[in-house]
Amino acid sequence: MFGIAIIAAILGGGSCGMLGYYVQRFGVTTLSFSIAHAALAGAAVGMVFGVDMIYSAMLFATTYAIVMGFLMSKTEHARELISMAFFAFFNALAIFMIYISNTTVLATSSVATILWGSVLAVTLQKIAIFITLLILFIYYVFAFKPQIDSILFDKKLAEAEGIDVHLHTIVILVFVSIVIALTLKITGGFLVFSLLYNPVASAFQISRRANLQQIISPTLGISSALLGLAISYILDWPVGATIAIISTLILFISVIYRLIINILALSMAKKRTASL
Amino acid sequence: MQTVQREVIRLDNVSVAYSGIGKPAIENINLSFKEGKLIVITGPNGAGKTTLIETCLGLLKPFKGRVSLLGIDTRSRKVINVRKLCSYVPQDFMRPPFETYTARHIIKLGLAAKKQLFDVSTLDYTSKLSPTIKLLNIDDLLDSPIGTLSGGEQQKIFIARALVREPKILFLDEPFSSLDRDSREIVADVVRKYVNLNRATALLVSHDLNPVKSIADEIIKMRKGKIVEVKYM
Repeated sequence: MFGIAIIAAILGGGSCGMLGYYVQRFGVTTLSFSIAHAALAGAAVGMVFGVDMIYSAMLFATTYAIVMGFLMSKTEHARELISMAFFAFFNALAIFMIYISNTTVLATSSVATILWGSVLAVTLQKIAIFITLLILFIYYVFAFKPQIDSILFDKKLAEAEGIDVHLHTIVILVFVSIVIALTLKITGGFLVFSLLYNPVASAFQISRRANLQQIISPTLGISSALLGLAISYILDWPVGATIAIISTLILFISVIYRLIINILALSMAKKRTASL
Repeated sequence: MQTVQREVIRLDNVSVAYSGIGKPAIENINLSFKEGKLIVITGPNGAGKTTLIETCLGLLKPFKGRVSLLGIDTRSRKVINVRKLCSYVPQDFMRPPFETYTARHIIKLGLAAKKQLFDVSTLDYTSKLSPTIKLLNIDDLLDSPIGTLSGGEQQKIFIARALVREPKILFLDEPFSSLDRDSREIVADVVRKYVNLNRATALLVSHDLNPVKSIADEIIKMRKGKIVEVKYM
């Protein structure tokens, strides 16, 4: 059982860290934040109707990602506001469903899974789906490497040169929505984005090189998930919250590291100027 | 015998407005651009020059009128395919100092749209790159991170990226803005030769007419979103 939890933590942390990089560089951070809450609402709906929460979360998150992806070009200027409106709506829906579940389902453990995660409840079937998804994502990134690199460098220029930026963004959002749904059981619905954003934010502090950032981000995602899992096991803390705290701590350390590097660089520049 | 010049861009009564702004950025524009021509679009700030070329590329959609790019309506999804035959050098090309992509990598990325699945070959790119490097005199810059280059050097790299794509239409937005006098002459000459040799079309936005007067076939003057003068040279 614990072996599956470790594999789930590695897969969840790694894929969130990997996708978080693309989410940030594609400029869909707020949108993916609301996708995470669509997954949360979907899981809550699934709980009330007795459907596997991961599949209902996947359905809600993917449908929302595709619809928003298609609407994106028409609502570019208001995308952030629309995302936040849906964030509020999905939160309300999730809370409403949890409220209903107290009287109809009486499923306290299911509610806990949605809110705080339950990595020990991850099944082999979900691990298989996760691995398949990861293989598909890596295949996609390698197949379209020049096009994706071009978008990462400059979205507008890539669009002007005939790259279907819109379609690639939708593909990324669909991958994000499925990964979020699968990671729900690891971190819980309210904390899933800590694995999506913190590792990439830390990677940006640690290195300025795009190719290094793409390696550092999933590495930090895996480290956060594994460390969080181990600490929660030892101290009997909730897994999701522990993972979120660890990833935030890593981010703080990375920020301090960047500050030190910047101070050292500045003092070197001053010394060089003084010696001239 | 005179050769027939194919129309590559056509704008019929085109008006474009930015979201949430009541006043159109360009209004009732009727223009036709033919192959083998170098067209300069000039005018003061806010005249609508950048809006015009981004509308031609289909990056901005008109709320009125129709734009045809190489025979394709820019509102159609097919415009993505015809953009592969175009190159664009935007006005806001400058990269921050921490941008670590090398100049060589940035030029190579210009060919990304034309690559097939899993195609990471560099052969085609290398053969296309060498003459462009010689013309623009950028061989010493290729392995430098783009963020460490000066504005003028970065601008040359983006012009090289545009040319390596061998476009049928070249959209250049203020391509001389960061260049010194000698470099302006070199770039102007390179663009003119490219248009002549490839029967391509170049739409060049410049608020300053001096560097482009001698190379232009047509000069379009804009003011407050409207065409105020079209001069054939």
